[in-house]
Amino acid sequence: MTSTLLPSVRRTFQTGRGQLLQNAGVVGPLWKLGNLQFLLNGSNTAFGGSVTFIQTREMSKVKHRHTHPRHIWAKKRRERNDQELTDDNQSFLKKIIYDTYGPTTFDWRAENTGMPFVSPLKQIIHERGVWEPRSIRTGVIARKIGIHPMWDKEGKRMLTTLLQVTDNHVLKYIPPEVVQRNYGKRFTRQDVGLLLVGAESADPQRFTKEYLNLFEESGLPPKTKISRFMVTPNAKLQPGTPLFATHFKVGQLVEIFGHTIDHGFQGVMKRWGFKGMPASHGVTKSHRRGGNTGGGGEKARIWPGTKLPGHMGNRWRKLKGQEIVRINTKYNVLYIRGPAVMGEVGSFVTVCDTFMSSVETMDKSTIPFPTHYPEESEETIPEEYYVPNLFNFGEPSIVFEEKR
Amino acid sequence: MLKLFRYGFAELSSISQLSRCLSIGACSRAFTSQARRDPSETDEATAAINEGERLNLESDSTRTNSNADPHQNPYKNEMEETFAPFRFVYPEFLPDPTIKWRNRVREKLERMDMLKRRSNIDIPEFYVGSILSVTLSDRNAPGKTNTFVGICIQREGTAMRSMFTLRNVVDGHGVEITFDLYNPTILNITCLRLEKRLDENLRYLRDAPPEYSTFPFDMVPELRNPDAPVPINTLKVKLNPKPWHAKWQLWDLKGVEDFSHELESREWRKLNTWKFSEGYETAKYDLMKTYRSTIPAEEQTEIYSEVHQQLAKLTASLRKQKRKRTFVKPQKTV
Repeated sequence: MTSTLLPSVRRTFQTGRGQLLQNAGVVGPLWKLGNLQFLLNGSNTAFGGSVTFIQTREMSKVKHRHTHPRHIWAKKRRERNDQELTDDNQSFLKKIIYDTYGPTTFDWRAENTGMPFVSPLKQIIHERGVWEPRSIRTGVIARKIGIHPMWDKEGKRMLTTLLQVTDNHVLKYIPPEVVQRNYGKRFTRQDVGLLLVGAESADPQRFTKEYLNLFEESGLPPKTKISRFMVTPNAKLQPGTPLFATHFKVGQLVEIFGHTIDHGFQGVMKRWGFKGMPASHGVTKSHRRGGNTGGGGEKARIWPGTKLPGHMGNRWRKLKGQEIVRINTKYNVLYIRGPAVMGEVGSFVTVCDTFMSSVETMDKSTIPFPTHYPEESEETIPEEYYVPNLFNFGEPSIVFEEKR
Repeated sequence: MLKLFRYGFAELSSISQLSRCLSIGACSRAFTSQARRDPSETDEATAAINEGERLNLESDSTRTNSNADPHQNPYKNEMEETFAPFRFVYPEFLPDPTIKWRNRVREKLERMDMLKRRSNIDIPEFYVGSILSVTLSDRNAPGKTNTFVGICIQREGTAMRSMFTLRNVVDGHGVEITFDLYNPTILNITCLRLEKRLDENLRYLRDAPPEYSTFPFDMVPELRNPDAPVPINTLKVKLNPKPWHAKWQLWDLKGVEDFSHELESREWRKLNTWKFSEGYETAKYDLMKTYRSTIPAEEQTEIYSEVHQQLAKLTASLRKQKRKRTFVKPQKTV
């Protein structure tokens, strides 16, 4: 591990902001680079040889949001492909990619079912752990695809957010010992491992070698989005296992993580809901300004936490205890009660079981553990699941009966 | 009420004129997107449409007029013409054209739900200006149902969000109720009088005398030939003197009597400035604006070819039910 980090290895590495660190002779402190273990898993070969990451971010804890990928992540996108290949060569490359991986282009804009492409596993080995009260299952990666109203059986209108689970596969399991070695006591529980899950297969020509190496072990095509989930060892899954919307049950409470909508640099009226100033009566050039920011005397400065203009949105947020009211198994869509799911239409979110045990009313032992295997289910899966009090549009209109 | 009828609801004499406008609109839309069309699909598509059931809408003069046009667009798809009237009859099947909100999967799922709901309730063809009666179950009403009759002054929203607003004057008070079209508590929607008006919405009835929006709750549905084109009511509403709820002078209203005597000179000046700044005169030549604010003709064809078979079945069952109804002798209104 340390041999790869020697300063003699010279490489250019461009950060997300376009700042080029070239021929850097100094390596940062080793404890910072130790985080690389998360992806490397203690092996030298994961990045296909050697690479240096020389970045120090002392201010990273102060900032609310980051505009570039984290330094522990492998660089993802390739530079622009300017190889002048003939059409024959391109079709040859495509053929090789298809022979290796099978179909690799998942287009979320097109009409798709969200079903995972064929897994490279010949046979999925079910090393099934037994459910225990404190065990944690994996989550899934989903796209927010829109909001529309539905009604309950009392005729009450509600808004539902649609999340599509798109082409999800398990990439890797990292056991608790490795997590302990790399992260120490960062997690509240010491007995958890990590599960890497990827969504939406893509063309391997678009990515860097470092990124592609992450998929070498599982034999999967590269995924557009990777996420990790905290799991207990009894909930571990074999790399290559597909995940479906039926991973969850209707009526279950889930937690949703994602980035909020990016509003850019906004004034105080939009960002904090200030009132602004009057439109007339002698007011000039300050109709949308915040006004006074503090008093004089000892307070004669901007106090920390003052509401000021600045960047709004694009921040990592989590929603707790959201109810799944309906599941479409054909298109792998989860219907979440309420319009509160963060992000624009088309943005990625991760969905996992809730940790709010006091609120969850469902018996957790009935939830498929460690995940749902559709090929094992004896009965045919119905196309849609509804919460009992949700109105199904195939039913006749709602009629109230008079009390006698 | 009687006064209202004296204005007359005769069919528009210049309906061919209007339909020509419509076909021109279709032409321009087809023209803007002709580059992306694959000509090889045409034959398959037409074959598919011949096999399937069609809605009996050939009587619409839109088709006959456009066929007779000697300067016909050679790139025009026959399927697009077949489904052209659908966007007026079933406007809510077209998604919101705002690109950042679009998603094919969600639109498809919504359409499936809409068809499911339509198999349980007859949602008739209606337009802004038609008079509707809506019965819905209400927990707090005596008898647990409530009925409202009124003129449709507005249709908004798409797919599952689509809504319509009915207006009536009850005991001297103007009442407006907005219904969700796919609300499951709605038990019955009946179109008492099917007709169109000259404007996209009739919100200006709020500033008109009450007789324009007064309708009896025991109104009997009018009989009409289902194959005949929908009549257009050219009624010109006389607005009340100012103050108004909105600046109606900015709305380019067709169904309103001349109110220029209401405007002051400064309002005239402002109106001219507004027309200049909003591109009022040039907006109709802005093809990209039209393209962004509408669903392209190819996508319309795609959507309606997917749902038209089920819709045709539903309309057939609708007509059967209509025939079963007992004949009510139409009453003389004048």
